[in-house]
Amino acid sequence: MIKTVSLVCFILCFINSNGQYPGFTLLNNPETFKKSFALATATTESIQSDFKQEKSLSMLSENINSSGKFWYRKKDKIRMEYIQPYSYIMILNGGKIFIKEGQKENKISANSNKIFRQVNRILIDCIGGSMLENPDFQSRILESSGTFLVELTPVTKNLKDLYKNINILIDKKDYTATSIEMFELSGDKTIIRFQNKILNEPINDPVFNIP
Amino acid sequence: MTRFLIFHSLFCLSISCNQYRYMQKIPSDESCIEKLKPDFHHVVYKTSVDVIGKHISGLLVVKHMPDNSTRVVFTNEMGLSYFDFGFPPDSGFKVYSIIPQMNKEGLVRTLRKDFELLQFRNMDNSKSYALKASGLIYHAYPQAEGANYYITDSNCRQLVKMQRASAKKPVMEAVIFGDSRNISPDSISIRHFNISHFSITLKQITSPAAQ
Repeated sequence: MIKTVSLVCFILCFINSNGQYPGFTLLNNPETFKKSFALATATTESIQSDFKQEKSLSMLSENINSSGKFWYRKKDKIRMEYIQPYSYIMILNGGKIFIKEGQKENKISANSNKIFRQVNRILIDCIGGSMLENPDFQSRILESSGTFLVELTPVTKNLKDLYKNINILIDKKDYTATSIEMFELSGDKTIIRFQNKILNEPINDPVFNIP
Repeated sequence: MTRFLIFHSLFCLSISCNQYRYMQKIPSDESCIEKLKPDFHHVVYKTSVDVIGKHISGLLVVKHMPDNSTRVVFTNEMGLSYFDFGFPPDSGFKVYSIIPQMNKEGLVRTLRKDFELLQFRNMDNSKSYALKASGLIYHAYPQAEGANYYITDSNCRQLVKMQRASAKKPVMEAVIFGDSRNISPDSISIRHFNISHFSITLKQITSPAAQ
């Protein structure tokens, strides 16, 4: 009897969990998720939030923590403002990138730098909800009780050289990203967690202005 | 007259090109450099790199490892690792990872030599010598090509600057701001002379958020 119960428990565990992502199971019908997700992101005009970033250098047993403010406005405007432990502002607006590092300002055309363009598209796609349409990645969708996990695996050489995979955790309540996890080939990873989200509040143009 | 002018010009050029040749040779004092040596045990620097009109920034982590090697890791603000270099205890060098865009032999060699100079590596006291000029002492340590110079005041109270040099002239100069004796310097400025507009600035992050 005990053996039978153990076997049943083992089989249930095997069915209901994913070894790589404990507590998550692979969605059998991702199309349902895609439809609900598309519907929810279509109504999200803007997001404002705080963020905390943790970079883990695996071989060095080292974590670098930073935090700041985040703004997104449909369709391709993002401002990330790092406040602690350093001042760094990145604005993505259309095809342009503006960086303010301390007192130093730098404008970059995303079109002139392939890596910058791809990495920035990841950010916009993850927040704006278009990551499943990005041809640079193949995707798998998993779920737990309160969260969807979209696993993006790079298929293009440039991104395969940088990332093993990128995961986006999506809140089932409002279909917004709660965190982005970027796994590098070296074993290093970066997690950006979004907190205190405010959806669909108007954000003034100057927030995204590139001088 | 023309011959004299050509001869004179070449003579002046040879003097100006060889900056170390006419310095006064003096007995070397090994203890001087030893006491001014910085300690990069575990430090994070906000870092800016300008090279031929391009600007990148990020965080440079320098960490002494349990096996007595030193790791130097450079990541961008959003967490992507640019490179991870290892310096074994005595000599040698290992590239643990580097993004393809930076994986150029010349660049890696230059960065390796720069970090070796900053870490006071490859210092064979049996081959060292000292030169005196303009009230400064140039403590010279011959390398496979050229020499590394640690330049102090005449009383050996302050490390004024460091130079990597070819046989005739400096190719790179590093200046430490603040005290360097057995501590991680607060900030460091690096300027290359053989690669136009290649400079690196490092500013220590003191916030507890960078652990």
